[in-house]
Amino acid sequence: MKRKTARKAKAVKAKRGGKIKAARAKKPAKGQRPVAAKAADAIDSLVTASAQALGLDIEPAWYGGVKFNLQLILRIGALVDEFPLPDDAEPAPVFHA
Amino acid sequence: MLETAASKFMWNTAAEIAHAVASGRAKAVSVVEATLARIREHDPLLNSFTDVVEQRALARARALDKARAAGEPLGPLAGVPFAVKNLFDIAGLRTLAGSKINRDRPPAKRDARVIERLEDAGAILMGALNMGEYAYDFTGENIHYGASHNPHDLERMTGGSSGGSGAAVAGDLVPLALGSDTNGSIRVPCSLCGLFGLKPTYGRLSRARTYPFVASLDHVGPLARSARDLALAYDAMQGHDDDDPVCAERAAEPVMPVLELGAAGLRVAVAGGYFKCKSAETVAAMDRVAAALGANSDIELPHPDRARSAAFVITASEGSALHLDRLRTRPNDYDPAVRDRLIAGAMTPASLVVKAQKFRRWYREQVLKLFGDVDAILAPATPCTAPLIGQQMFTLDGVEMPVRANLGVYTQPISFIGLPVVAVPVPLDPLPIGIQIIAAPWREDVVLRLAHALEKKCVVGVTRPAL
Repeated sequence: MKRKTARKAKAVKAKRGGKIKAARAKKPAKGQRPVAAKAADAIDSLVTASAQALGLDIEPAWYGGVKFNLQLILRIGALVDEFPLPDDAEPAPVFHA
Repeated sequence: MLETAASKFMWNTAAEIAHAVASGRAKAVSVVEATLARIREHDPLLNSFTDVVEQRALARARALDKARAAGEPLGPLAGVPFAVKNLFDIAGLRTLAGSKINRDRPPAKRDARVIERLEDAGAILMGALNMGEYAYDFTGENIHYGASHNPHDLERMTGGSSGGSGAAVAGDLVPLALGSDTNGSIRVPCSLCGLFGLKPTYGRLSRARTYPFVASLDHVGPLARSARDLALAYDAMQGHDDDDPVCAERAAEPVMPVLELGAAGLRVAVAGGYFKCKSAETVAAMDRVAAALGANSDIELPHPDRARSAAFVITASEGSALHLDRLRTRPNDYDPAVRDRLIAGAMTPASLVVKAQKFRRWYREQVLKLFGDVDAILAPATPCTAPLIGQQMFTLDGVEMPVRANLGVYTQPISFIGLPVVAVPVPLDPLPIGIQIIAAPWREDVVLRLAHALEKKCVVGVTRPAL
């Protein structure tokens, strides 16, 4: 529990332009398959990394709201993501020069 | 009843007012004075106006009366008071778009194109209307300016984001208002406030000098108390505009000359599957409208759930891109509910947004095929009548879900591909609810004809609230 809070606080304190240290993934032991990060942790990582990259300061009070909404977008967006489209499918807006 | 300034022209439609002014039975100045009196009397309850342009309206009315006295021809909307959601530029006012942040913008130098066109037709602008912050809203609530109140029950939502537009027209402050609709922001308030609303084909009406939300999906359109008034306003606003790159290069296609053709010869079906809402009010309203139009068969739109998802993704991403810099510098000046969604939208993977735009084209092609077999499709506008202001959750088909995200569950898959829609009000007791009449692109004539035919049969229509 304490570790989780500390991680969240670290994420929230990340300042615009600050150093972004990429977390080094632990190498799986020989013969062992890599284990996917837990979904909730992955969202925490995405929120933290995106906020740093975009220069957005997220106050602790909003963190939950941002995370909830990003989860919602990804959950709802999965319906689009999983739908097979041909490689030559054109996006809706077409620019005319 | 003693006639007061506020009781003159009460509950008159735009067409009735224009006829009275054009025929000389009423002065435009009297109409404007009555409108101002009603705004003073009732808007403290409705909270629909954020600015009233009293002097401008009176000056315009005096000019109209002078023109008539001189024998000059008056336009089809002569003397009709109207108001606009406060994301339309009004010369001399700050375009708030429901926000606190936009108070720091300089006043607009020129009116939005559609305001210019309505005034060219003789209409008289009365002011700017409340809305959900930056149009990212289905409720009509606003943390900075307060919620708009539903005239049928002041404790209930107007729906949004064109909430002030819904309240002002249903509350008889003006007979006509303009709103914008990205995912349902005209159709949702029309459903909850019991009004007629037109969301035209994407690219039909100019959005020039309106504050944007999601360029891929933004539309503007009128809200009124009759289908005829929608047609009058729509005809006045049509036409290409170089100032809006999305505005189609099509000649105006007036609907008024064909409005009386009615429903004869038009094939109508009911949207099935995803759109089969089980709420008692939606079922009752749909049964009534479908029976009146002889819509005996269902038609399945392909993957409307994915269409809604794709609209959700595009909205989150484009909306956040618009606001990203302000989210960095003034995050505390946003409504927290809007800010958190915008920040999350900025984190949406680009690949998902591109996929959503590709799906949009695929979905459009599939839906357009359906219009080979039918001329119009009926779908609910909202899953329920107006929720209470502040209500967070509601039950849809036995599942409890958030109000804010789901009031537009039936409107999003339609505006996603820019189809023209009229929301028609079914006057249920105690609260009205809307049904969407949907047609193929550029066939506003079909949806307005059907809405007008239903109104003449008294199947749909506005009810007057007891304010």
